[in-house]
Amino acid sequence: MKNRQPLFHVVKREGASPARQLLAYVAAVALALAVGAVLLAVQGVEPVTFYRQLITMGIPGSRYPWRAVENFIKLFVPLLIVSMALSLAFKMRFWNIGGEGQFIMGAFWAGFAAMKLGESLPRPAMVLVMALCGALGGGLYGVFVAALKVKWGTNETLLTLMLNYIALYFLQYFAETKTDWNFFLDPGSARPKFAKFPASAQMITIPIGPFNLNLSLLIAAALCVLLYIYLNYTKRGYEIAVVGDSPNTARYAGMKVGKIVIRTIFLSAALIGLAGAFQVSSAGILSASVTNDVGWTGIVVAWLAKLNTAGIVVASLLITVLQFGCQTASTTYPSIDANFANLLQGVILFIVLAADFFTRFQLVRTRKEAAK
Amino acid sequence: MEEQQYAIEMRGICKSFGSVAANNNINLNVKSGEILALLGENGSGKTTLMNMLSGIYKPDSGIILVDGQEVAINSPEDAKKLGIGMVHQHFKLVDVFSAADNIWLGDDKSGLVLKKERYGVIRDMARKFGFDIDPRKKVYNMAVSEKQTLEIVKVLYYGAKIIILDEPTAVLTVQETARLFDVLRRMKAEGHAIIIITHKLNEVLEISDRVAILRKGEYITTVDTSSTNEQQLTEFMVGRKVELNIDRPVVDKTRPLLEIRDLTIKNDEGAVAIDKVNFYIRGGEILGVAGIAGCGQKELCEAIAGLRPIESGMMIHKGDNIVGLPPKAILEKGISMSFIPEDRLGMGLAPSMSVTDNMLLKKYDQARGPFVDRKTGRAEARQVIQELEIVTPSTETPVRRLSGGNVQKVLLGREIKAGPNVIVTAYPVRGLDINSSYAIYDILNRQKKDGVGILFVGEDLDVMIDLCDKIMVLCHGRVMGVVHAHKTSKEELGLMMTGALDLTNKYEDKPAGIARDSRIEETGEVEK
Repeated sequence: MKNRQPLFHVVKREGASPARQLLAYVAAVALALAVGAVLLAVQGVEPVTFYRQLITMGIPGSRYPWRAVENFIKLFVPLLIVSMALSLAFKMRFWNIGGEGQFIMGAFWAGFAAMKLGESLPRPAMVLVMALCGALGGGLYGVFVAALKVKWGTNETLLTLMLNYIALYFLQYFAETKTDWNFFLDPGSARPKFAKFPASAQMITIPIGPFNLNLSLLIAAALCVLLYIYLNYTKRGYEIAVVGDSPNTARYAGMKVGKIVIRTIFLSAALIGLAGAFQVSSAGILSASVTNDVGWTGIVVAWLAKLNTAGIVVASLLITVLQFGCQTASTTYPSIDANFANLLQGVILFIVLAADFFTRFQLVRTRKEAAK
Repeated sequence: MEEQQYAIEMRGICKSFGSVAANNNINLNVKSGEILALLGENGSGKTTLMNMLSGIYKPDSGIILVDGQEVAINSPEDAKKLGIGMVHQHFKLVDVFSAADNIWLGDDKSGLVLKKERYGVIRDMARKFGFDIDPRKKVYNMAVSEKQTLEIVKVLYYGAKIIILDEPTAVLTVQETARLFDVLRRMKAEGHAIIIITHKLNEVLEISDRVAILRKGEYITTVDTSSTNEQQLTEFMVGRKVELNIDRPVVDKTRPLLEIRDLTIKNDEGAVAIDKVNFYIRGGEILGVAGIAGCGQKELCEAIAGLRPIESGMMIHKGDNIVGLPPKAILEKGISMSFIPEDRLGMGLAPSMSVTDNMLLKKYDQARGPFVDRKTGRAEARQVIQELEIVTPSTETPVRRLSGGNVQKVLLGREIKAGPNVIVTAYPVRGLDINSSYAIYDILNRQKKDGVGILFVGEDLDVMIDLCDKIMVLCHGRVMGVVHAHKTSKEELGLMMTGALDLTNKYEDKPAGIARDSRIEETGEVEK
C-alpha cells in the first residue's frame, strides 16, 4: 500500500504565553525589515545606513531637531486617534472602513468653523469649536451608516467604503471650485487654492524651551486612557463586547442592540472626526489630501494590535516611525521614496499575521510508525 | 482455524490536540455484517476517532487496516475510495440542492453537464437499497429524518462497505428511530460493517452486536452486547457505579405561575409556528414539552422571554399580562429562559467572554455608577463553579474554551443564581453525557423543590417521562395534549408528536391546558 503521507501536519498549540507572543511579533518585524533590506540592497542602497536614518528619523545632526519631533507628532496623533476609534467599532464587529470619509468630514467642518468664526473668537475657544465641529461632522457621517444598518440591516462595509469617496470628492469640489461664495479658498490667488486659517484657528502648542508641544498629543494620550477604561471597565464597554460577540445573546440579556450600535459608532466616527479637526488645526490649512491615508492605515494598526489599546499605541508608533523615517531617509536616496514605507508596512502586516498563526499552531513532523 | 478478517481495524491509534490527548492507544475492529456501537461520554474521543476513519483528521500514531491491508487515509476522498462512509451528526448537505444533486455533487464520474437521467439513476439506486426518496426534492424542504436517509443513500451510492453513523438518533422520534434501525439491520444482513455512535444505552442494547467503550480518550474494552447490561456499560463509561434512576420528587404544587392562553406566534418566515396554544406551569412542577425538532419550541421560548412578538393571545405571569413587555422587564419578573441551540453557544452566552463576564450578563446594569461590578461577578462565578462542579482553569477563561457540559452548567448556573420563579429551559442536556446530564436534572429538581415552575423542552422521551410531572406534546405548533408523565408511554408520546394522536378533546368538559385556579380569573381580568 502506498504510504504517501504529508511531511507535516498542523497542531494547535496550547495557550501561548504572552512573552512568547511578544517574541514572535518582534521576530516578525525583524524578519520584515530583513526582507526590506534585501529589496534595498537590490536597488543599491546600503540597508544598514538606510535603516539607521529611518529609525533616527534624521533627528540627530539636524539643524532643527525639535522641528522634526513636532512634525513626527503631527503624523502620529491622527493615526493614534483613528486607530483607537476604529478598534472601538471593530470590537463590536462593526466593520467601519469609512475612517477616510469620517476624517475628511471632521476636517471639513473644522475648517468651516475656522473660516467662518476664526476672526471673531479667541484661540482657545476657536480650537474648542473646531474640535466640536469636527467630532460632530465625523460622528454624524458615521452614524448615518449605523442607523441604516440598525433599521434595514444594510451592509456597513459597503456603505462606509462608498461614503469615503463621496467625502473625498465633496472636499475636492471645494478645493477646485473658484467662485465668490467659496470662502475656503484664498481670495488672493488666481488659481483655486485653500486659504490659510486665521491665526486663532491654529492648534495650541505649549512651548517647552525650543520645542512646541502640540496640545493634541496630550489629548490623544488622555483619550487612550479613557478609551481603555471605557472598553474594559464600564457597562457601555461591556455592552460593546457582548454585542460584538453575539448580538442574539445581547438581545436575550435585555440590551437594546440598535441603541448600542448607534451610540458606539457615533463615538467611533466622532473620534475620527476629532482627529481630522486636530489635523487641519495643526496644519493651519485644509488640503485635498488631508487624510494622509490614516483611515486605511488605522485599520492596519488596529488589527496589528489585535484591538488592544496598549498594542495600538505601540503599533501606531511603529508605523509612524516607518512613514516619517522613510520620508526623511528618502531625501538622501533618490531611488527610494515614501512608498517604500507602504511596502514595508504591507510586509510587516503579512509576516505578523503569519507569526500569529505560529503562536497558535505548530507544525509537527508526521511520525512514520509508532505502535505495532 | 482462520479468524474472520476484520472489515476495519484500528491499532494503537493516538491523536492529540495541543497537550490534550483526544485518543490514546485505541484499538477497534469491526467485521463485515456486524454492528459495533461506540460508547463514551462527551469528550471521550468517539468523534475524533471516527473522523480519522473518514479522513478528516490524521492519527499521530497507530495504524488502520481495511480488509487486512494497512492504509493511509489522508482525506475524505481516500476514505471514499476505501469504502468508508460517514453520516455526520450535523448533516453535510447543500440546502438549496435537490436530493439527487447532493449525491451527484461528489461523484467524479458525473462529468461537467447535469443530465436529466441523474434523477432516474439515483431513484433506482435508492430503490435497490430499499429506500424511497424523491430525487428532485430540495434539501431545505426535507424533514430531519429525510435528510438522514439522504445521507445514508449518499454513502451507499459511493459503494461504502463500512458505514459510520455519528449520533444518528439524536434528532429522530421513536418511530423514526425504529425505522432507522430496520434499515441498519438490513444493511448488516447485506454484509456492511456498521459503527454507530450513541449516548443512549437502550439503543445500544437493541441494535448492536458488540460495544466498544472509550473513556477520556482511553480505550476501555469491547464487550458482546448479549452479555452486558445498562448498568455495566455505564460503569465502563463513567468508571464508577452510577445511579441510573432519575428522581421525580413530589412537591406541593402552588398556583399557576405562568399561564399561556390562545398564544399564536409566527416564525422568521412568517408562517405560524405556535398555533393557539394553551398551557400553564405551577410552582413546584416540571412541565415537559415534547415535539419533533422545529415544531415551535424555539418560538415559544423566545416569546415567553419577550424576544419574539406574538400575534395574539395572552401570557399571564402571577396575574400580570406580560405580552409586549421588553425582555428586561420579563427578566425582572423572575422568568428565566435558557435555550441551548445546536451549536450550544448561540443564545444566552457570549462565547469569547470570561465565565465572570457571562455571570454578569443579565445584571451588569444593576451596579451603581458607570462601571461593571466584576468583583461580585467573580464571586458568583466562583460559587457557581463550586456548586455545579464546573471544570474550568479559572473564572477568567473564555466560555468558548470549556467543554459542552461545562458551558451548559455555566448557563444554567447563572439562571438559577438570579433566583427566578419560572425557568424555561430548552435542551439543557443537549449532547451531554450521562454524568453531566444527571447533574443538570439534579439542579432542576432542586429548583422544583424550592417552588420554581419549570418548562422543560426536551428531546429524549425516556428522560422526560422520568423527570417531568406532566408532558405537553406539540405537533406543527399545535398542542396535541398534556399527559401525566407517570401514566404515559413513549409510544403514546411518539404518536402525538407525529400528529397521529390528538388528546386535546379527550375530556370534552375539561379542555386540556386551561388552569382553573389561575389568579387572573379571580381578578376578573379575563374578557371574552
